[in-house]
Amino acid sequence: MATEVRTQTAGNMWKVLVKPGDAVKAGETLFVMEVMKMEVAHEAPADGAVTAVHVAEGAEGLDADQLVVEIG
Amino acid sequence: MIEVLKPGLETSVQDFPGRIGYWNQGFPPSGPMDSWSFRLANILVGNAPGAAGLEAQYIGPTLRFQRDTVIALTGADMGAKLDHAPVPLWRSVAVRAGQVLTMGAAKIGTRGYLAVAGGIATEPWLGSRSTFHQAGVGGMDGSALKIGHVIPVAAGAGIAGREVKHSARPPIRTDRRWDVEVCAGPNDDWIDAAGQARFLSADWKLSAKSNRTGFRLDGPEWTFAEKATNKPPEHGSLPSNIIDHGYPLGAINLAGQTPIILVNDGPSMGGFINPYTVPSAVFWKLGQSKPGEIYNFRQISVEDAQTMVRQRKAVCSEASIL
Repeated sequence: MATEVRTQTAGNMWKVLVKPGDAVKAGETLFVMEVMKMEVAHEAPADGAVTAVHVAEGAEGLDADQLVVEIG
Repeated sequence: MIEVLKPGLETSVQDFPGRIGYWNQGFPPSGPMDSWSFRLANILVGNAPGAAGLEAQYIGPTLRFQRDTVIALTGADMGAKLDHAPVPLWRSVAVRAGQVLTMGAAKIGTRGYLAVAGGIATEPWLGSRSTFHQAGVGGMDGSALKIGHVIPVAAGAGIAGREVKHSARPPIRTDRRWDVEVCAGPNDDWIDAAGQARFLSADWKLSAKSNRTGFRLDGPEWTFAEKATNKPPEHGSLPSNIIDHGYPLGAINLAGQTPIILVNDGPSMGGFINPYTVPSAVFWKLGQSKPGEIYNFRQISVEDAQTMVRQRKAVCSEASIL
């Protein structure tokens, strides 16, 4: 069952810390968004391997609830 | 009393019009960025329009109510749920003791407002309950909400089921483009004619480096009048430098080539020019826009801006309730 990690807020993609093939543990930070000069870390909800990353570091003007990382 | 289970991104207690009368000592008014939505939330629950409520930004809080009350949510749609039932916006809703309100990401708009019958009853500071977290004053111990905060609420008897007329709600844009009214000045004469025309015709993109202090914009280069380039050295070296002076609230402050709109928690003075000013009646548009969205500025007169304030005050009244 694939797990989707979506943006929790509108904003910019400040850092993407994983790439397809990476093994991740639940609670590990996958990417960090920037809004209002604040960092909003997004964590893996479960253990698994990253199967896809849909947003590049530096992307601007993202909406909330946009698909960023899929974990298999 | 309301218990904070999750604070959201930066949720704070605000009242309207905020901390007025201390700008000359460096204290900004603070208060809700979208005071249109904020005031209507209060009216729905039977409060005075300016009573203290919550402003949620981008990601809303999760709150547990410790007694029966009536609440209203306005502004951004944060997909709020009371226990597991969706909560309508623009409508007063009965809440029972123990129920949990969960607000999520802002889908339409950016800032959501919560009013509670009776109003939030934190200790006022310099005449206002508004939070100015950079100075650590107002609201809940001078900060945004934190897990475990218990927010005091005054006694009040709201009525559930009241609704704001559609025609009285702020038209929050969903096409990522906003027409934003501006007044010329105080330093529009430091910009040349081409620069002024460019400012009023260009697309200006809102940066993610924007918060309640300033809204930073990306756009074309500015060009300057003789006054900005040929001036006494005490003004400073950049064309946008000027001997330190007071800033109007809403000033479009030009730092080098970067315009920053100084909003509710902004600075009261400094050494950059302010070619244009966004009137307070237009701040709701700033408050509901997101990074990456486009502003197109339209010049109006000061008289027009004053008329907008009076019209908004008339809309933020019992006459707008169904």
